[in-house]
Amino acid sequence: MRRFLKMYKVEQKLFLMSPDVIIFNLLMPLASFILISLIAGSKSAAQTGLTYLQSSYVALSTVGICCSAFMSIPISLVEYRSQGVLKRMYCSPCSPTWLLACDTIASGVMAAISTLILTVTAVVFFGYRMKGNIGLYILVWLLTMLSMFSIGLLIASLCRTTKSMNVVTSLVYFPMLLLSGATIPAEIFPKGLRMLAEVMPLGVGIKMLKTVSAGSSAGVLPEMAVLVAIAVVCSIISVKTFKWE
Amino acid sequence: MKGNCISVKNVSKSFGDRKVVDNLSFTVGRGEVFGLLGHNGAGKSTTIDMILGLKAPDEGEATILGMDASRNRKKVFEKVGVQLQHTQYQSGITVEDACEEYGALYKEPADYGELLKQFGLAGLRKSTVSKLSGGERQKLSVVLALIGKPEVVFLDELTTGLDVVARREVWRTLKNLKERGLTIFLTTHYMEEAQALCDRLCIIKSGEKITEGTIEEVISNSGQSNLEEAYLHYMGFDETEF
Repeated sequence: MRRFLKMYKVEQKLFLMSPDVIIFNLLMPLASFILISLIAGSKSAAQTGLTYLQSSYVALSTVGICCSAFMSIPISLVEYRSQGVLKRMYCSPCSPTWLLACDTIASGVMAAISTLILTVTAVVFFGYRMKGNIGLYILVWLLTMLSMFSIGLLIASLCRTTKSMNVVTSLVYFPMLLLSGATIPAEIFPKGLRMLAEVMPLGVGIKMLKTVSAGSSAGVLPEMAVLVAIAVVCSIISVKTFKWE
Repeated sequence: MKGNCISVKNVSKSFGDRKVVDNLSFTVGRGEVFGLLGHNGAGKSTTIDMILGLKAPDEGEATILGMDASRNRKKVFEKVGVQLQHTQYQSGITVEDACEEYGALYKEPADYGELLKQFGLAGLRKSTVSKLSGGERQKLSVVLALIGKPEVVFLDELTTGLDVVARREVWRTLKNLKERGLTIFLTTHYMEEAQALCDRLCIIKSGEKITEGTIEEVISNSGQSNLEEAYLHYMGFDETEF
């Protein structure tokens, strides 16, 4: 355990020092939140019963998950494979699985830090208070993360080269970030686009988080089941198809 | 304790139609420095991969410390250190952090501060690995190969791309390790390096063994005057053809 923590500490440090992670994971959701709140914070977001401030807090609390799942995890793993880091780790009494676990945990911690910064800003500077149950919110947030991370790990397993990984992550990351309602409020989308947002995996999580944050739990169970199913299926395929080299 | 440390018996490996290693056999004794020589693409790295259990041979068997590395990975790599060709490190990682992380892989790692000092890298602890010179980076990869206090180390083209001074520095440290009884398996393209370090050599061409023996034997069997000429002779290179 002590050895694992040592390794984790190094990997976490690498994430904390990576400029992409800081910009996309920590600064971007914060900047979007401040902008949306200043422009339209007190306006009511259609149909949700939430104001734009409340609704965008929820949506942006998933941006860290999105960045970690669709950028940090696949990029670091595919790079480690193509640079021979995984092969080198294989030639040691320890398993390269440790490195994968360290990176996944480190990515999760980055997503949590991102949401924490956002929460402190929302609560302290914008007077945000959540109507719903905070414990349930955290649970759904964690489930959303688990499910998105499993998709990220699947990408890392299926993409053999850095090039194909870049293409796939861009194809997944940007639509997920922009069209699932994570950054641009889904409430201002036209009807067709909104329907698309609701079927995207991250969109499912966001919709559920919004419901919970508004103090309701209507329809949350089947959506939770969808996320669990995604997590199970993607994890199994990614473990089965993973290659060290 | 004497005896065989590495044993390769009738090993063959093909990738598609191309036979990369062809019925290759040799043994390496404990405390020996053994050099595997051959042209680019002769099958040196593939042979190492098979000994280390990274690739399974199509035929034959390779054992290290009496074990099949692919089946006893943990046990083998507690005692075997490696430096692989083309290994890079995580971007942004510092020398110190790389040592921490690789040290954490072993139950009882060596004191890396001591190793860094020995290899003249003590002043570079805080530098990122990507900013090191080629020589420094290769020396770091030797440090990381030694961090688990191994009995055997594999060094795959350790000094390729190094300047003369850096190469001599690496030699000096390898000679020290040899004196301490470490078994070293190395591949190289430099004949003066093989001559300076190796007790025994095996020369392969297109995956097949051409000759094996001590440096003196390899030279005298070729009828040439030095190792470079002997190597060229074994490779079938004839200067008069030009």
